[in-house]
Order: sequence, then structure tokens, then C-alpha cells
Amino acid sequence: MSEMVEPIVDVGMPRHVAAPLLEIRDLRVEFPEIGGGPAIDGMDLTVGRGEIVALVGESGSGKSLTALTMMGLLPPGAEVSGGTALLDGEDVLAMAPKRLNEVRGNKVAMLFQQPKVMLDPTARVGGQVSEALRRHRKVGRREARARVVEMLRDVGIPEPARRASSFAYQLSGGMAQRVMIAAALSADPELVIADEPTTALDVTVQAQILDLLKTKRDTLGLSILLITHDLGIVSSMADRVAVMYAGRIVENGTTQEIFTNPQHPYTEALLKASLLEAERGQLYSIPGSVAQARAMQHGCRFLPRCPKAAELGITAQCSGAEPTLHICGDHDHHSRCHAAPEHAEAR
Amino acid sequence: MLMFLLRRSLVLSVTLLVISVLAFLIPYAGEGDPARKILQARVNDPGLEPAQVEALTRELGLDRPIFVQYFDWLKQAVTGDFGFSYTSRTPVGELVTPALSVSITLALAALLLALVFALPLGIAAATRRGGRLDNAITFISQSAVSAPEYWVGPVLVLVFARYLGWLPSGGWTGPAFIVLPAVALSLRPLGYFTQVTRAAMSEVLAAPYITAARSRGLSFPVTLLRHGLRNSMLPVMTLFSFWFAGLLGGAVVIEVIFNVPGMGRLLYTAVVNNDVPVIQGGLMLILTLAVLINTVTDLLYSVLNPAIKVTNA
Repeated sequence: MSEMVEPIVDVGMPRHVAAPLLEIRDLRVEFPEIGGGPAIDGMDLTVGRGEIVALVGESGSGKSLTALTMMGLLPPGAEVSGGTALLDGEDVLAMAPKRLNEVRGNKVAMLFQQPKVMLDPTARVGGQVSEALRRHRKVGRREARARVVEMLRDVGIPEPARRASSFAYQLSGGMAQRVMIAAALSADPELVIADEPTTALDVTVQAQILDLLKTKRDTLGLSILLITHDLGIVSSMADRVAVMYAGRIVENGTTQEIFTNPQHPYTEALLKASLLEAERGQLYSIPGSVAQARAMQHGCRFLPRCPKAAELGITAQCSGAEPTLHICGDHDHHSRCHAAPEHAEAR
Repeated sequence: MLMFLLRRSLVLSVTLLVISVLAFLIPYAGEGDPARKILQARVNDPGLEPAQVEALTRELGLDRPIFVQYFDWLKQAVTGDFGFSYTSRTPVGELVTPALSVSITLALAALLLALVFALPLGIAAATRRGGRLDNAITFISQSAVSAPEYWVGPVLVLVFARYLGWLPSGGWTGPAFIVLPAVALSLRPLGYFTQVTRAAMSEVLAAPYITAARSRGLSFPVTLLRHGLRNSMLPVMTLFSFWFAGLLGGAVVIEVIFNVPGMGRLLYTAVVNNDVPVIQGGLMLILTLAVLINTVTDLLYSVLNPAIKVTNA
């Protein structure tokens, strides 16, 4: 099956963006000591300048690991075994530790799922907000203090001067995430990787935080890689969507395309299982788990859970060869499904 | 905070009262008539006139009911007067105060020495968990923990006092005299401090806020100093105060070996001589200090980590 090598030309960046800010190609991350195959297995993803790209998928699909890999903060035991990740033309995966320290917080910053535990319980909030600023912009202590108050006000924190000397336990989850946003943006990064930034927050606060992020994108020209499993958030936030399954992208395209014209049965299933559909009274659940996919040697990794293969009578094809991520529909729309029509450049 | 202090002092006074009962009664736990034993100790003559014993019993007020004796003692104790030593006939305060200051000096010297080595060792082990350095440090700390003072003490005397002649083998008349007993006392706490630092630091280094700090571009050493150290110091501080309180009267073996005039040796001699007022006063002072050290430690928790509320006494 040597043809299974993917044609790289197909999965390039979207045409309307000149040079993407982040360009991940064929990324592979493994846990060699645990085994069980790569956790991220040939992943491609691009984020353009000023673009919000949503990375969606269920738990265990490799989303958070992707985020940490892009930060050069792999969890213990994880190893990058292949691929490149160009950030502004420079491969993050090949950076020396010293260079990574220069890049983190400076060019790329990160937001996390549980904001309250991401703050040092024994340190005042203000110091953490100014950390990146002082590290990368060589700002003195006194000026940093003034800037912190400004930044906290800017992310919508009331009484910012007083809040700067608060501790994490004195903040609500929403406030803590605002603080984390101020901390992430303090050195004016180009890319923010937001790993489920609102999952731990209640719904009204969620909307406020997302609004804030969107405003920051608009005013600062920020690029955001938004990792989430909440398709409601995706539809209101993202310009483009990449759907991740078992360590790979199975479909990507503009948000409009993905929501109205999904070309991969996994995406369809996710849409059906999302809360958007649940409001209509039926909540669909995808049978099986991602774990099954990890065991697959040949063929499409979604096959064990796919309703479409049997429906269309193409099970033999699906189990024989893994589909490539190919163009379907418009130029920016790719799907890794045999059933998705290979409309090439024609359309 | 004020409420906390009020409640805390209430609990404290009850604790001290209980301690005073114990400190008062413990010397009487031994067998025999105290007056007889005192006389025996003083005159070194087993055949005593019963009249003599009776006279001393009356003189010391030992013929009164025990609770009367207790309240009498307590009334004086709160003014700092613990009576006179039966053997040397000097006020207990004059015996105990210098002994306590010697013990505090020795305990602090030993524990600070232990800390100075334990912190870097524990942190180094935590940052290289499972590595060769970690294994070596674990070996060192376990050896230190299992080195008994009654063995380490004499070995140090033999090597540094007898063979090398660098340091005095015993006594307490200058800074050089602190070195050997402090080193001997520091080994076990050194081992424990190292182990606790390693465990606490390992846990902290896996904490989410460490990842968050790294994501802002802080290097690993800077992150460790700025966010790791303070968070991992809580258990170390607990252990430190535990050892400090313990060493105030508990360094008996080392104080006897090195002839250090501290609390441990004072109490030991007092027990051997059945010197009841010294035992009572010494115990009372040590236990009070231990309780105070504990209280201060509890207050320091919330200084180290403000998320720990000081409401529950």
C-alpha cells in the first residue's frame, strides 16, 4: 500500500491567505513507553493571520496534545516523531529550548480549560499577568505594574488596581479566565492557542469570554486556534473548522461549509450529537469510542463507528485503504472519506 | 482574623492548662516517697531518720492534698516562679532559662544546617525523578534518616576531636563547640527534609500553574524559583516546626554525649535525681513552647498560601 502516502499538494493552506501564521504538516506525536500507536498521527492544520480556526473532536482525539505540542510543552512521556510546525516560518518542533522560551508568551500564548488552577495560588494575580511582558519586552517592575492595571481593565475586570493584588482563590472562574487572557496577551503575541477556554465556565460567562476573545482578534489582528468540542461555540466564533479524529484531521473547511455541507460521516455525527440538535428534542450519540480507532491497522479509522459505509455498500473499500484528506466541494473544503466526492479544482 | 485569634487563644489556654496538670503530675509517677529520695540524694545515706523525712515532707508541703499542691504550684508558675531545685537549691528559672537558650541555639543550628542541604538535594531529585541523581539522593537521604545519633555522635568525636583534633569533643564555651553536636543532630532531619522537599516539589512541578508559567516564556529554573518554591514549602515548614519543638527537650543523647548544658541534659539529670520542681518547670516550659511553635506554624500557613483560610482553629 505504498500509494497511501498522502499527496501533500492537496492539503495546503487556504488560497485566500497569503502565508499562514501556523502551518502544521504531518505532525506525529507518540508515547513510546505506553505504546498503542501515535496519539497524533499525520496531522495537518493551518491557521492564517487574523483567523480563528476551531479544532474540534471528542475527548481523546488529540486536540489538547496538539496545543501543548505547539507550545513546546509536551507532557512527560510524549515525543514528537515526525512532521513540522511552522510558526511564522520557523519550525516550532525543531526549536532549541532557549528559543522556545523566547517564543512562548511572545509569539504564541495559550489559554487553558481550568483558569483557576492555572494561576499560582500563592502569588498575586498582577505579577502573573505581567510575567510575559517583563520577560519579553524588558519592561521594568514599576511600569509593568501600571500596565497590568491597564490590561486588567482592558479585559473587563472591575476595580483592576485592587484586583491586581488579589489571589486566585479570590476570583471567580470567569474573572480568572479574564486574568489569563490578560496574561496571555500582555506581550502582544500573534497566535493564541485556546484549549477549551470556556468549558469550565457557566453559559453566560462563556459568552462574555468568547466575545472578549473575538474583540481581541478584531482589534489586535490576533490569530486564534480554538480547541473545543462545543459546536455551538464553533459556529459563533470560527472562520474555519478542522475536525480531528483519532489523531488526524478528517475534515476541514470554512465554518459555513462544515455546518451546511459536512463531507465526513464523523462530522455529520458530531453535528447530530451537538446541543444545537438537542434543542430539537433528540440527542444523538455516536456509537463506540475513539479507542477502537487506535487499534486499526488498515482502512478508515472511523469505519467501526461509521453508519455510512454499510449504507453505501463501500465497506470493502473503506476497510482496505485509508482515504486521503482530499478536496471536496469548494477549494477550502477537505474530507478524509471515500464517500466524499473528489470535486477537484473544477468547482 | 480577629475571631481566629480569639478562638485560638481560648484553645491555647485550655491546652496549656492540661499541659500544666501533666507537667505537675508526671514527676510523681515514680515510686517512693519524694522527701526520702531527696534526702538520700543529698546525704547519700540509705539509713535515714523517719523524723528527718517527715520534717522535710512538711517543709516542702508534700503532706498536703495533691490538688492543693497543684494549685499552689500553678499560682506561682503563672508568675514564672517554679520553686527551687531540691538538689542545688537554686531557683528553677535560673536553671531552665540558660538551658533552654542553649537548646534553642543547638536545635536551630542543626535544623538550619539540615535545611541548607536538604532543599537543594530535594529540589534536584524532584527535577530529575527516576534518574541517577535522584537515586543517589534517595540513597543519601535514607542513610541519613537511619543514622542513629548515639552512633553518629561518638564517630564524629573520634574522627574530628580525637584523630584530627579540629574541634572540641564536648562542652559549650564557644562557637566551635556547636559544630559537632549540630552536625550529629542534623543528619536525621536532613534526610526527612530532603524526602519531603522532593515529594512536595515533584507534586508542584506537575501542577497546572507551572505549565501556565512556562507558556509565558519563563525558563524552567525561573519557573521553579518563582512558582515552585513557595508552593512546595508548606510541608517542609510543617516538618521543620515539628523537629524544632521536638529538639528543645529531646536532644538528650547528643547533649549527654557532647556535654552540652541544654534542656535535654537538664531534665535527664533532674529525673535521675528526682528533682521534682526542675522536672515540672522544665516540662512546662518545653511543652508551652511546643504549643506556641505549632500556633505560629499554623499562622504561617496562611502567610505562605493565602488560600488557606485562618478560620478553623
